[in-house]
Amino acid sequence: MFEALVDALRLRTDLAAWTLRQVTSRGAQLYAVPVGVEARRGVISERYLVDVLRETTGPDGTATCGAGNTTLLPGDDIAAALDAASLMAGLVHNPLHTIPARADLPEVALADPSLQADPAATLEDAYRRLRTAVAEHPAVRMPTAEFFAEEETTHLCNSRGIDARQVATSMLVEWVLITRDGDREVETFVELSRRRVADLDLEAEVARRARFTVDLLSATPPPGHTGPVILRDATLAAFMNGGVVQTLSSAAAKFAKASTWEIGASVFRGDVAGDPLALWANRRLPYGTHANRFDDEGLPAQRVALIRNNRLLAFAANQRYADYLAIPATGDFGDIEVPAGQSPATALCAEPHVEIVAFSWFNPDEVTGDFACEIRLGYVVNGDQRTPFKGGMLVGNVLDALADVQWSAETGFYGDYQGPTTARFGKLTIAGQ
Amino acid sequence: MSDLHLPIGMAALRGDLSNIVAGIERRMPYAAVWLSSRQGQRITVDNREEQVAERLPSAGTVVTAFDGATLHERATGSFDRKSVEREARDLVQGVSATPGFSIDPGPERRGTFVTPMKIPPASLSTREKLDRCRDLQQRLRGLDPRIVNAQVSYLEISEYAIFCNRAADLGQHIQRVRLGINVIVAGEDGVRYDWMSKSATGGWEALDFSDDELGATVENAVALLGAQRVEPGEYTIVAAPIVVGTIVHESFGHGVETDMFVKERARAAHYVDQIVGSPLTNIWEDPGYPGGFGSYFFDDEGMLAASTQIVVNGVFRRGITDLYSATVLGIPRSANGRRQDYSRKAYARMSTTAFARGTTPVADLFAQVEGGVYLEKWSSGMEDPQGWGIQVTCHFGHEIKHGRVTERMFAPVGITGYVPDVLGSITAVGDDWDIDGGGCGKGHKEIVPVSSGGPHLLLKARLG
Repeated sequence: MFEALVDALRLRTDLAAWTLRQVTSRGAQLYAVPVGVEARRGVISERYLVDVLRETTGPDGTATCGAGNTTLLPGDDIAAALDAASLMAGLVHNPLHTIPARADLPEVALADPSLQADPAATLEDAYRRLRTAVAEHPAVRMPTAEFFAEEETTHLCNSRGIDARQVATSMLVEWVLITRDGDREVETFVELSRRRVADLDLEAEVARRARFTVDLLSATPPPGHTGPVILRDATLAAFMNGGVVQTLSSAAAKFAKASTWEIGASVFRGDVAGDPLALWANRRLPYGTHANRFDDEGLPAQRVALIRNNRLLAFAANQRYADYLAIPATGDFGDIEVPAGQSPATALCAEPHVEIVAFSWFNPDEVTGDFACEIRLGYVVNGDQRTPFKGGMLVGNVLDALADVQWSAETGFYGDYQGPTTARFGKLTIAGQ
Repeated sequence: MSDLHLPIGMAALRGDLSNIVAGIERRMPYAAVWLSSRQGQRITVDNREEQVAERLPSAGTVVTAFDGATLHERATGSFDRKSVEREARDLVQGVSATPGFSIDPGPERRGTFVTPMKIPPASLSTREKLDRCRDLQQRLRGLDPRIVNAQVSYLEISEYAIFCNRAADLGQHIQRVRLGINVIVAGEDGVRYDWMSKSATGGWEALDFSDDELGATVENAVALLGAQRVEPGEYTIVAAPIVVGTIVHESFGHGVETDMFVKERARAAHYVDQIVGSPLTNIWEDPGYPGGFGSYFFDDEGMLAASTQIVVNGVFRRGITDLYSATVLGIPRSANGRRQDYSRKAYARMSTTAFARGTTPVADLFAQVEGGVYLEKWSSGMEDPQGWGIQVTCHFGHEIKHGRVTERMFAPVGITGYVPDVLGSITAVGDDWDIDGGGCGKGHKEIVPVSSGGPHLLLKARLG
């Protein structure tokens, strides 16, 4: 069907450009509950995604263009689908833009051979490892876990000569740890997403989360606090992937006037009190969950220096918005990379502070950066004394926080974030009691 | 059956489903087949560009076999008879029935259901829909000189589903529509924005915006340029209907999804027939609620829609179920077994969930507040069924002073607290009612369309 679609697209004289993607996937899923395995599933799919571009004429007679798209399943009517996509494109009058031209594609590590060989067996093994790991911590039990494994193959072809393939794998594991003291029961929810099994250190994660779960039993009400706050590991990764940097550095948001960031200008609205910020949008990060060889348009993976010394160097732009803003096309954002800081994590944690280890959901306003997020577990830390607390909110602004942060020298890989393991924010507020 | 106008592949396969089910049930105690096709269209118009695009479609078949303990499923993105039959054969290879739970296939039921519509999206051409969006955008963009972009977005989703087990042969066509506006304004300290959307199961008749609604959205966006953060603390609040809907959704919506009972993750499991809120608290869930964005006629496991009274006069009565959890827990089914799409399993999920209307005039709610905050619009929420914590983030709130809403605005405003404390603090329930639609995840995945609503409430909560 791929060849038939290519042939049909090449014959269309109404189209200025087109892109075709064949996406096939196969996967396995496993759902465990206290009474056993609730469900085992196998999933396969094959679909063909077509994007087309047409030259149109605006109401005032200017040359414009329009985009349209369609998705086909095997056996669908190709001519009817392409007619529908062309019709959509013909209705629209946007500034002229192009699609990506052929370019060298990098090799990016995206696939786990063991997962590719047998997704279902990979899940069964992960389930066994998880149960074994939890059994090492008798204070907690695991009432539920979910496992998803998938291999996805993409073949992309466009009218400007791109003909490329990539194979990627992904694995998602979720589980819950529970502990009880009399009538009081508390839980910790864990969610890990990686491209390969080797990056899932289930045993270490279970040990860490088991400790958190037990600490929840003795958690106090949240303190009122304005001062240093430390985020580490997956919690820091979630903070960095809250969407603020991704939105404000996007050419689409810039074109829509939702971002006021300017190339060459500071991304902060005031003075910088902490370490200078440097940040890459990286689609070449080996086994990064947003990494790829090429994105949905066919733009090659890049490691884009977005921010250096607090100043914006580039916007993340697909071809359309790159053309609109006359800037280089970088493609999808990818994963976040931050360089190592100067201070050992132990030094950052030495002074009294509050550490947040779990939010309900860290979801800042992606345009303003403001946030007020409920705390599932935090600690008031003073020397060796760590007093757990639950509830209240961490209140602040992502950009203000990043303008007053010290990064650790130690770095780690968390799927969608590669960077310091520890960040000490100089002044954030806990809305507590 | 013809008025469903099923996609060709689905229609061709439908006649074979009972044979596929019977073939599996020769070896397994229960089998079912679910066919689903979801197609849609998106249109966006703003000051600088327009887009007309197909919403990423989803179409496929799920074959289910239950062996007494585990649900085995094969999901394929196809309606091809041969490949579905092959998947059904492969599904039962190496699996044998075991003593365990018994699934009730339900009473005999057959039917075909279609969303009632006055102006079906299919009756309008794409050009006509684009022109309607352009007209709305024109009305919006010039309302204030500080507007730097006025965005209009339209979404239509046409869902076809067929469910077949040995007792049921059901078909439905659900038409969901949503039209939204988003206004971006610029001031000295950056940009702010506000939005409003209309959504429904239905047609374009549900998507009208009045001039007052456009004006209020622009007014709020401009006011946000001068908004402050609220001083953290406990406040008397008046919550608007769509904020109330979100509080209900996160607390006694997610909190009573009975798959979480099976997983020992829901505190509500220990509170059946116990007091969980003030006597003014009444919460219901109804997949058949007419026009609700999350509504449908039968769930993805073949259960016909019916209302569930979750909390009655402050007492928790029952949760909402999927097939597996109802079977394992031995409780009555409700029509809440839903899948994100064919590629995912069914979970217990909400449809239209709401706080019941009260009797207090809304003006009287405000009159009772000497000092407090009016929470008018939510932006996000997250459930905590085990800990009964609340996280609801509001896009903004207004100060209330001496019973009146002032021009002082706070943004954003987070609501947090312990669910029974928050529901227990309700002292008045408004005589109005409104509903809002959107997408809901189970944690951070499994997105399904839902609607939530309620009246204005007077209560206390911690804000920050």
